[in-house]
Amino acid sequence: MKLVEATAVPPAGILHSIRKYINILRASLIERMTYRADFMLGTVLRFLPMLTTILLWQAIYMSAPGEEIAHYRVNDMIAYLLLVHISRMFSSMPGLAAGIARDIRDGNLKKYLLQPIDMLSYLVSYRMAHKAAYVTTSFLPYAFLFFLCRGFFADLTISWTQAAAYVASLLMAFVVGFFFEACIGMIGFWFLEVTSLLYVVNTVNFFLSGHMFPLDLLPAFWAAFFKSLPFQYMAYFPATVLLGKIQGEDLARELLLELVWGIGFVVMARIIYRVGLKRYSAYGG
Amino acid sequence: MPSSRYFRLLFAFARYGLLRELAFRTNFLVKVSVEILWLSILIIFYKTIFSKTTVVAGWTEAQYLFFVGCYFTLEGFIEAFFLENCSAFSDLIRSGDLDFILLKPIDEQFLVSLRNIEWSSVPTVIMGASIMSIGLWQMHLTFDFVQVALFLAMFVCGLIIAYSFLLLLTAAAVWMVRNQSLYELWWLFTSLVRYPKEIFLKSWASPIGFVFTFVIPILLVVNVPAGVMAKRILDRATLAFTVLTAAILLYGSRRFFQFALKRYRSASS
Repeated sequence: MKLVEATAVPPAGILHSIRKYINILRASLIERMTYRADFMLGTVLRFLPMLTTILLWQAIYMSAPGEEIAHYRVNDMIAYLLLVHISRMFSSMPGLAAGIARDIRDGNLKKYLLQPIDMLSYLVSYRMAHKAAYVTTSFLPYAFLFFLCRGFFADLTISWTQAAAYVASLLMAFVVGFFFEACIGMIGFWFLEVTSLLYVVNTVNFFLSGHMFPLDLLPAFWAAFFKSLPFQYMAYFPATVLLGKIQGEDLARELLLELVWGIGFVVMARIIYRVGLKRYSAYGG
Repeated sequence: MPSSRYFRLLFAFARYGLLRELAFRTNFLVKVSVEILWLSILIIFYKTIFSKTTVVAGWTEAQYLFFVGCYFTLEGFIEAFFLENCSAFSDLIRSGDLDFILLKPIDEQFLVSLRNIEWSSVPTVIMGASIMSIGLWQMHLTFDFVQVALFLAMFVCGLIIAYSFLLLLTAAAVWMVRNQSLYELWWLFTSLVRYPKEIFLKSWASPIGFVFTFVIPILLVVNVPAGVMAKRILDRATLAFTVLTAAILLYGSRRFFQFALKRYRSASS
């Protein structure tokens, strides 16, 4: 009896499981802080594209005939381009897909198989730590930026429903972004080299998510087509929600659609992981 | 003669790079298609803007197209020769493999910045040049030898300025343990060269424009050569300033790189 107790597996309660992932969160936070100098440089440089796009659009509106372009006045446009960065803060997952593909290729994936830990859940908590660190450390610069740019948001009124919808759209943007990237990374089960594919996906995503400019500026057919794809939830949709471009029934429908895409990607990631593991042969030491 | 040795080496690097690309042909094709995709996105962006207006910051549609082509060509050159090599530098430091480069009887900067020639960026250069030609053709420009010669000279200066900044960012890796890729930093930094410098003319932005023209002169990179060719801005002070800046930056970045190497503490063994 004694022997059985000694070798018994640790308690697998839900509380224990939560503590496990909180510890991962903590370790990832510490890791993140090690690279703070580089992180600071990156944060400073990250504001340059915002600056140049603001200036470019002001120049465009200066010479454009009317006050509005595709129902965006100059302030709406710049507010949109700033808000897109908030969307991307939640939805962009730098290094996630590449990391998964690398683990598969190197055979490092077996660390998830040998330990009582699920890869996708591990990566979610790891990513949440990085996002939390990123949001906290860039809170001040962003607050400062939005304070400087408050003029662009002057004629914006935000209702409680809108604010709630915005928060929901951002949280779901994280889910869509994370599981989309995870699916792309797990293509590595079938192809050795996915980094070049990642470049393609990221480039396409930059455009289709509306990160570059609002999709409404495109010809009607293309705008409608691109809005039916899941990419828009990673940048365009949350921004337009806060700007009040989408209201009432449309808003409810879009939120529901985002949820469906989110769940869809979660399920797809699970399936790909299952099927992929069957092919996985754990090369490397 | 020592300089012939460098040319021979450069030729060997180019040959090795080509062999490597031929070994991974699919990868080559994917990389080229990313560039085509990126150019298409830039063109769509440009078309979208000019469907709403006729002039942006004093650049007409054809002139702006030339600007886009000029940017694309310059970026192609940077990618073909330097970007991947400089990006690998932080790994050389982290792993301590930089030791092997320091031991070789050749200039370290030469070896660090030109080790691999990225042939997959050659189509980028060609595409950029074609876009420039289309822009010129739309402008119905008559051939002017002096203008073309000045354009080429300014383009080279722009390239030197861009390379110097890349080298400065690269060398900074000696102090900063790098977690994110130089690619991303470079991409963020070059957002300053992607648009005409006239967008900084607004009153609140003009101090920023001043800083990026005179203190951190990255705005000269595409603007000066594109201005020479597309808008015939042949102002002597601007041209002389660009040449001078290129010379100072090339020298300064080299000194900084050497200083950084002195601070390098081998991490291996």
